[in-house]
Amino acid sequence: MPRHVDSGIVGYGCYIPRYRIKASEIARVWGRDKAELPIKEKAVAAMDEDTITMSAEAARYAIWRAGIEPRQIGAIHIGTESKPYAVKPSGTIVAEILGIPPTTTSADLEFACKAGTEALHIVSSLVGSGRIKYGLAIGADTAQGRPNDALEFTAASGAAALLVGPPSSNNVANIEHSFSFVTDTPDFWRRSYERYPVHTGRFTGEPAYFYHTLSSARNILMENGYSVSDIDYFVFHQPNVKFPLTAAKVLGIPMSKVEPAIVAGEIGNTYAACSLIGLSKVLDIASPGQRILLTSYGSGAGSDSFILSVADGIVERRDKAPRYEQLLRRRVEIDYAIYLKNRDKVRV
Amino acid sequence: MSFRIRIPSIWRAKRFLYRLEGYRCSRCGEFHTHSRYVCRRCRSRELTLERLPTRVRLVDYTVVHQATRNNEDNLPFIVGLVETPDGVKILGQITDCEPEDLAPGMELETTFRRIGVDGDANIIVYGYKFRPEIH
Ligand SMILES: [Zn+2]
Repeated sequence: MPRHVDSGIVGYGCYIPRYRIKASEIARVWGRDKAELPIKEKAVAAMDEDTITMSAEAARYAIWRAGIEPRQIGAIHIGTESKPYAVKPSGTIVAEILGIPPTTTSADLEFACKAGTEALHIVSSLVGSGRIKYGLAIGADTAQGRPNDALEFTAASGAAALLVGPPSSNNVANIEHSFSFVTDTPDFWRRSYERYPVHTGRFTGEPAYFYHTLSSARNILMENGYSVSDIDYFVFHQPNVKFPLTAAKVLGIPMSKVEPAIVAGEIGNTYAACSLIGLSKVLDIASPGQRILLTSYGSGAGSDSFILSVADGIVERRDKAPRYEQLLRRRVEIDYAIYLKNRDKVRV
Repeated sequence: MSFRIRIPSIWRAKRFLYRLEGYRCSRCGEFHTHSRYVCRRCRSRELTLERLPTRVRLVDYTVVHQATRNNEDNLPFIVGLVETPDGVKILGQITDCEPEDLAPGMELETTFRRIGVDGDANIIVYGYKFRPEIH
C-alpha cells in the first residue's frame, strides 16, 4: 500500500478494570500445573462494566489527550466480540455518552482479536479521504473462556481507543503505512447461541497466529523499504506472553524493542483491545521521531499492520489522561468465586 | 438509585444519565436535571443546556444492602451525595471502591457504568456513577 500522508493519531487512551485474578488461582480450582501458566494474572471487569462502559472510558481519555470537542467527531467504530447486545449497536450508546452528535457513522466490527485495528483501518480511511475530520477507532472486550478451558487462563477485559485526525507534527503520532493479511483459517470460533468459543488447540500457533502475524509484519516492512533497525517499538497481539516474544525472535527483533509493549502477563489477553493497549503503553514512553510497528492478530484469521511515526505532540498530550501504569496500579485481587459472579458465569 | 426502570423515562433522562447534562437557569443559577420550560426556583424561562464538571466533592454517602429490583446481584452498593465546585448537589452510585476508602470532602470523578437491567425487556440501563480519582 502507498505511503499515507493523510491521517494521524490525535489522542489515545486505554482502560483496564481494577479487578485481577491470578492464573495460579484458576489453576488451583481446576488442578492444573502451576509451573506452566501462560500469564501471571488477568484483568476482570466489575459487575457494572461491559464493552460499552470500558469503550466510553478509553475514548474519553483519547478525547482529553486530543483536546478537541466531541462534536467535531464524525465516526465511531468499535471492534469487539463481546457486545452487550446481540442486536443493537454499541457505538451509538458510546457516542451519546461522549457527546458525539448524531451526524456520525457508527458500526460495531467483528474479527476476533483484530476487530480493533480493523476499526483503525476504517476510521483512518474516512479521515484520509476527507469525509470526516476526526473519528474514533475502539477495540474493547470482556472476553470469556469456558471454565477449565485453556482460554480461561487468559481471556480478559479491557479497552483502548485512538482518536484519528488530520496529520500534524502536533499529533501523538502520524500513520505512515498500513497493511492487512487475511485467510480462512479455522483456529477459533463460536456459533450463535453458544456461550463460549471453541479453539483447535495447537493449531492456534503455527498456521494461525504466527503465519498471519509474521506475514503482515514482514510485508509492511519490505513493501516500504524498512528493516527491523528502522523501527523503535514492535507491538504485537498477545494471546499469552510467549507468542509475541517468539514472533520477535523469528523476525530478529531485539527483546528491548518488543518488551515495552507486553501487557498480557499482567492483564491477560483483552482480545480486540490487546494490541491497542500495548500501543497505548508504548505511547506513554515513546519520543518524537521514533517509529512504531503495530501488528494485531485475529482468529479466523488475519493480521493488520500499521507503521506510526511518533510526533512532537506526544510530549504535552500524554499527561492529559491516566497512563497504562496508573490504571494498572488500582489492582484489587479476587478469587475464583467472585470472578465467576463478576463475569456472569453462575447460571442455574 | 431506586427509580423503577421504564424504557421511555430512561430514554428521556439519558441526557443527564449519560453526560450529566442539565438545564441551568441563567437568572438565579438553579440547575435542573430534566428538561423544563420554567425555572423551578425563580420561574424564569431563560434555561440553557450545561454539562456538569467531571470532578466533584463527596458530601456524604451510605451503603445500601437492600436491593432494588433487577439489581439483586450487585450488593451492597454505595450511594453518595456529591457537590460540584459551584454548589450543585446530585445523588449517584459510587463504584470502584470500598466504603472504607471514602470520607466526606474527598474528590471523586464521574465515570459511566451499567446501572441495572430491566427485567422483562432485558434492556441495559447505563448512566453516570462516581469513583475515586485515578492517580
Ligand atoms: Zn431561576
